[in-house]
Amino acid sequence: MKRAVKALNRISVQQLAFSYNGRDMVFENFSAEFSGGPTAIIGQNGAGKTTLVKLIKGLLKPDKGRILINGIPAGSMTVRDLAKTVGLVFQNPNDQIFKPSVLEEVTFGPNIIGFSGEKAERSAKEALEMLGISHLKHENPYDLNLSQRKLVSIASILSMDPDILIFDEPTMGQDYEGREIIKRTIRHLRERGKLVLAILHDMDFVAENFDRAVVLHEGKIIADGHPREVFAREEIVAQAGLELPNAVKLGKRLGLKDIFLTKNELIRYLKERASDR
Amino acid sequence: MNGMGLYEERNTWVHRSDPVTKLFYGITVSAIPYILPYMGVAAFFLCLNILLLVLAKVFKKILPILFLSFFLMLSIVIVHGIFHPDNRTPLFSAGGIHFYREGLSLAALLIIRLLNMICGFGVVVLTTKPDLLVNGLVQTGLSPRIGYVIHSVFRIIPQMAATVNKIKDAQRARGVETEGNLLTRAKALFPLLVPVIMSSLIATKERTMALELRGFGSKGKRTFLKEYEEGRYSRQARWFFLLLLFGSAVWRVLI
Amino acid sequence: MKKIVVEGLKYRYPGAERLALDDVSFEVNAGELIGIIGKNGSGKSTLCYALTGLVPHFFRGAYGGRVLLDGLEVKTSTVAEISRKAGLVFDNPFTQISAAKETVFEEIAFGLENAGVPREEMAERIEWSMKLLGIEGIREKNPFELSGGQMQRVAIAGMLVMKPDILILDEPTSQLDPQGTEEVFQVIRNLAKEGMTILVAEHKVEKLAEYADKLLLLHDGKCAAFDAPKRVFSMENAESYGVELPLAAQIAKELDLRDEAGLYPAAPDELLALLKGRLQGAAGTDERFTE
Repeated sequence: MKRAVKALNRISVQQLAFSYNGRDMVFENFSAEFSGGPTAIIGQNGAGKTTLVKLIKGLLKPDKGRILINGIPAGSMTVRDLAKTVGLVFQNPNDQIFKPSVLEEVTFGPNIIGFSGEKAERSAKEALEMLGISHLKHENPYDLNLSQRKLVSIASILSMDPDILIFDEPTMGQDYEGREIIKRTIRHLRERGKLVLAILHDMDFVAENFDRAVVLHEGKIIADGHPREVFAREEIVAQAGLELPNAVKLGKRLGLKDIFLTKNELIRYLKERASDR
Repeated sequence: MNGMGLYEERNTWVHRSDPVTKLFYGITVSAIPYILPYMGVAAFFLCLNILLLVLAKVFKKILPILFLSFFLMLSIVIVHGIFHPDNRTPLFSAGGIHFYREGLSLAALLIIRLLNMICGFGVVVLTTKPDLLVNGLVQTGLSPRIGYVIHSVFRIIPQMAATVNKIKDAQRARGVETEGNLLTRAKALFPLLVPVIMSSLIATKERTMALELRGFGSKGKRTFLKEYEEGRYSRQARWFFLLLLFGSAVWRVLI
Repeated sequence: MKKIVVEGLKYRYPGAERLALDDVSFEVNAGELIGIIGKNGSGKSTLCYALTGLVPHFFRGAYGGRVLLDGLEVKTSTVAEISRKAGLVFDNPFTQISAAKETVFEEIAFGLENAGVPREEMAERIEWSMKLLGIEGIREKNPFELSGGQMQRVAIAGMLVMKPDILILDEPTSQLDPQGTEEVFQVIRNLAKEGMTILVAEHKVEKLAEYADKLLLLHDGKCAAFDAPKRVFSMENAESYGVELPLAAQIAKELDLRDEAGLYPAAPDELLALLKGRLQGAAGTDERFTE
C-alpha cells in the first residue's frame, strides 16, 4: 500500500538550450516529460541522446531552461542527492569499476549515498542476484569478460536503489542470456514503480520491452509514442537513421499489413492463420 | 592533430625548414648557454630565437608559455636576490629586505637561460608538424617504435584527457564528489585513478594488437608514404650545430 | 587446397584454469563466408586471435594443434607474415586507429609502410582499398573525427590494403549504431561477392543467417556445430548453446514448419514459401500475403 501512495517518478525537461562550445546548439528550446512505463531514447549517434541524459544527471549544466526531477530542479541538488534519486549506468563499465572485487564494487555506491553498512550489503546482494552474477561476487571485475563487467556496473547502480534509472546502451555486446537478464531487470524495476529510461540501438529490445519510444534527431524529437506507432512511421525511422525491429521487418517481408512489434505477436498471428482450416 | 594545439600551418621559411635540422638547432641553442654560462652568450641566443619566432610569425604563441613561467622566474629572483651565499653588495631594498647584486645577476642569467630554452624549443615545436618531425627522425635512423611512441603522445594525451572526463562523470553519477576541499579530492582519488589506469592499459593492449596485425613488429625494411627530403644544406647545418656544441665544450674546458 | 585448416586447436591463456579453445577442428574453402556464433565466453574472440597469430604469439599461453592459412602454419610464422594472409578487425573502432597518422589516406598506408611496399605502389593500393570500402570521400579527414561506422571501414581498409585473401571480423558492429552496422554488413557482403574468404564472429544472427555459407557454433571452447545455417538452427538443442535463432527459424519452430529436408528456414523468403505452402491448404488464396 505504501507504493500506491508514493508519487509517480517524473523528469520534466523545460525549454532546454545547450551547446558544448557556445556555438553549435545541441538543444534549442527542447522540452519533454518522462514518467510512467519504461521509455527508450533512440536515434543516431550525435542526435543528442547522451547529452540529454548527462544534462538530466546534472553532469552538464544547461545554458537555458531547467530540468525538474520529481519536482526539484536538478541544478539545485548536490551530486550525492542526485545520485540517490537518479541512477545512470554508463556505456563502458571500464569507466567506472575500480574495486578489487565485484561485491565491493556493488557496495560502494550505497555506502557513498549513506546506506548503513548492513543495508548496503543487503542491497548489493539483491542487485547481484537480480543480475544473475551472485556467483561472481568475489571475483576481480577486471578478470571477467566485458559483458559480465557490464552486468556488474548495472548492479552497482541498482544497489543504490534510486527511483529513476537511466541506462546507456545496456545491451551493447551482450549475448542472448545477457539480454534476457537485462530484460528481466527492467521488468522488475517497472514493477517496483521505478522510472526507467534507456538509450538503445537494439530495436528489437526496444520493441519488446518499452512502452514508449522517443526518437531524437539533431536535437529534436521527431517521433514520440508507443513503439508500435513509432515503428509504423517508416519515413521517420529512415530519417533518424534507424532500423525496424526484426519482427516488423519480417512481417513486411511476409506481406502482412499490420505491424507486428514482437516475435510473439507474429507467432501468435501466424499460428491462428495456420489453424484457420 | 596539431600537437595539442601548438602547431599551426603557416608558410614561412622556418616552417618549411627540415624538421630534424630544426631539432638539432633547438638542442644546440638551448645547451650552449649551459656549457658557457655567460650572460652575453645566453642573451645572444635568446635574441636569435626571438628573431626567428618573429620571422616565423609565431611569436605571439610563445608569450602565454613565457607568462606561465613568470612565477618560476619571480621565485628565482627572490631566492637568489635575497639568500644567495655570495651576496655582499646590496642593490636595493624593499620593505626592509635587501636584494643583493651578486644574487640578482645570477638570477638574471638563470632567467635568460630559461627564456632562451623555452624560445629555442618554441622555434622547433611551433613551426614543425609533429608527424613530419617523427617521420624525419625515423627515416634518419630513429627506431620506428620510439618514433611511434613520440608521435602517439601528441594524439593519445588528448584522448586520455577525454577518458578522464568520462570517468569523472561516471563516478560523479554515483555520488562521488570530485570538487571541494583537499580531503574530498583525496577520497575521489582511487575511484578516478584506477579506472584511468585500467582503461589506458586495456586500450594500449588493444592498440598494440591492432598495430601488430598491421605488421608493426616486422623486422624487415620499412618504406614511407611521405618521403622525407633533407633540406639542401641540412647536412652542413647539422654538422655546424654539432661543431658549435663541441666547440663550446672545448672552450669551457680550456678557459 | 583448403583456404583455412584448423586441426585439434587447443589453447589456454596464461594463468587461466580452463581451456579457451578445446580441440577445435574445421576447414574453410576459398570464398566462403563463415559466421562464428556462441555465447560470450565461448571462445569466439580467442578463435579469431588464433587464426591471425595473436594466439599464441601475442598472448603466449599453452598452445596445441595446428592452424594453416593457405598452407602457412600460424605457430611457426610471425604475426607480420600472417597479416599478409589474413586481416583481423575488432569491435572497438577507436583502438584500431594507429594514432600515428593525420589523414585517412595515410592511416591506410600504415600497414604498407611496415611491410616495405615500394612508394610507387602504395597510392594505387590505397585507392583500391578505399574504393572497396566506399571511403574515398573522407580520405583527407582525421581518422579520429569519423563516425563509428566510418572508423570501422577505415580499419577494414587498413587491413585489406595488405591484400590478404582472408578477412576475420570479431564482433565488428557491436559498438556501432544501426547505420554503422548496416554499412559494415554491406561491406562484408560486397567482399564476399568479390570472392574473399570471410569469418565473422557476431551476435546479430539475423544478418548472418541469410548470407553465411556455414556457421561455426562454439560452446565452452569446443566446436558444437559447423554446418549450413539451416542445419545449425534445426539442431534439437540449438538454444541450449545460448544463441538465439533467427526470427524465421523461431517462427518455423513454433509452427512446426520444415522444408523437405526436415529443416527450419534460416531466412524470411524461405519462411514465406513454407507459409504459403501451409496456408494454401486453407480455404482459397489468402489476400493478406501480397507476395
